[in-house]
Amino acid sequence: MFGQFGWHALTLLLIAARWTVLLSALAFALGGLAGFAVALLRTAPSPVSRTLTAAYIEIVQGTPVLILLFVAYFGVALIGIDVPPLLAASIALTIFSSAYLGEIWRGAIDSIAQSQWEASESLGMTRWQQLRHIILPQAFRISLPPTVGFLVQLIKNTSVTSLISLVELTREGQLIANATFRPLPAFVAVALIYFVLCFPLSRFSQSLESRLHVGRQS
Amino acid sequence: MSVVRAESVSKRFGELTVLSDVSFDVPKGRVTVIIGRSGSGKSTMLRCINGLEEINGGNLEVLGHSLPLPPKALRALRVEVGMVFQSYNLFPHMTTEENVMIAPRIVKGAGRAEARQVAHRVLDQVGLGDKRDAMPEQLSGGQQQRVAIARSLAMQPQLMLFDEVTSALDPELTGEVLRVIGALAREGMTMVLVTHEMGFAKNVATEVLFMHNGRIWESGPPDTLFSSPRTPELQQFLNAGELRE
Repeated sequence: MFGQFGWHALTLLLIAARWTVLLSALAFALGGLAGFAVALLRTAPSPVSRTLTAAYIEIVQGTPVLILLFVAYFGVALIGIDVPPLLAASIALTIFSSAYLGEIWRGAIDSIAQSQWEASESLGMTRWQQLRHIILPQAFRISLPPTVGFLVQLIKNTSVTSLISLVELTREGQLIANATFRPLPAFVAVALIYFVLCFPLSRFSQSLESRLHVGRQS
Repeated sequence: MSVVRAESVSKRFGELTVLSDVSFDVPKGRVTVIIGRSGSGKSTMLRCINGLEEINGGNLEVLGHSLPLPPKALRALRVEVGMVFQSYNLFPHMTTEENVMIAPRIVKGAGRAEARQVAHRVLDQVGLGDKRDAMPEQLSGGQQQRVAIARSLAMQPQLMLFDEVTSALDPELTGEVLRVIGALAREGMTMVLVTHEMGFAKNVATEVLFMHNGRIWESGPPDTLFSSPRTPELQQFLNAGELRE
């Protein structure tokens, strides 16, 4: 099928890259939802909720993504449920994202001055009103650059799912390398596609950072 | 009728006693000024009045409600009690007008038009009718503090608390803020102020409380308190103030 690395191979890589994008988007969206909950619980007044979410974040951040993936894939299979690779990959990356995004957003919430809480509290706001109108809008701005930065990490981390034979970008690169016996062009092409996906996001994150920095005074 | 009635109030932070046996009365329409050194407990006393700090002993009654209160009742009380802070604490992501409108909107459930009308009235009152669309960072410290006062006034409080609201301002800007507070006092707003501005305290106070080591060391009307202090601590405090000026 492949005599050499050419347009056909490149097309296959781009098709596979759709899975990389889909998986990143899915993990970012679901992990974002879960991460938002983690951030809120991590900053809640209840010490139990703080401790539990702190432990969750520590455990997930202290585990390689690959291991999360194997646990999701082989672990769930052990109970007798046959997990499709895409589902296992989504679960693992969602958990991974929820811990990192939760921690990023926890930091953003904590960086808002205590005096903002006191001022809004003194006006009779409920905790939820304080979060919704005063704290989160400010925390959101602060968290944007690291959040986009994390998305770049996430896109690259989807490459581990190649190990449970999900044919995303990296896995397709391996397959083409094997078929053409020319691994270098295949993996250079793979690297370039990752770069094209990530570079605009990195630039976006940097421009956000400088723009927000200019906007903030004293 | 007393707006604030404190009877033997005490407050500890861990081992540290910051208030002990504090008793005073703030009648409706009167201005009570608390003076004293840093760390004498005056700000803590003020923060207890709107429940930012919980008292550990004694009785503290605000607008007929005995503190501490459960969360919902405390929020209802805070609607009636405005507080202005040393560091203004405006919401930096909102315009001046939005800063003033937000609490009437979401806490009192006022409609947008109604809240805007109130916002315009109170911003005019503090002399900032032309700064409605400005962001806090575009305003001077004095202007920010006046917005903060307007933000509290928009809730139509029965009692206003001022916590060293001019301490972060240079003398020129201090004047514009004090004029706003003075006007409020003349209109009959009940107020408790913590301040280092002795001249202002003399003019505006109906009663002055001198706090020392967490206690009310000496109290009385400003004329007698400032001209003939009875305790050496107050004498020393007032002399130190004169030397500084």
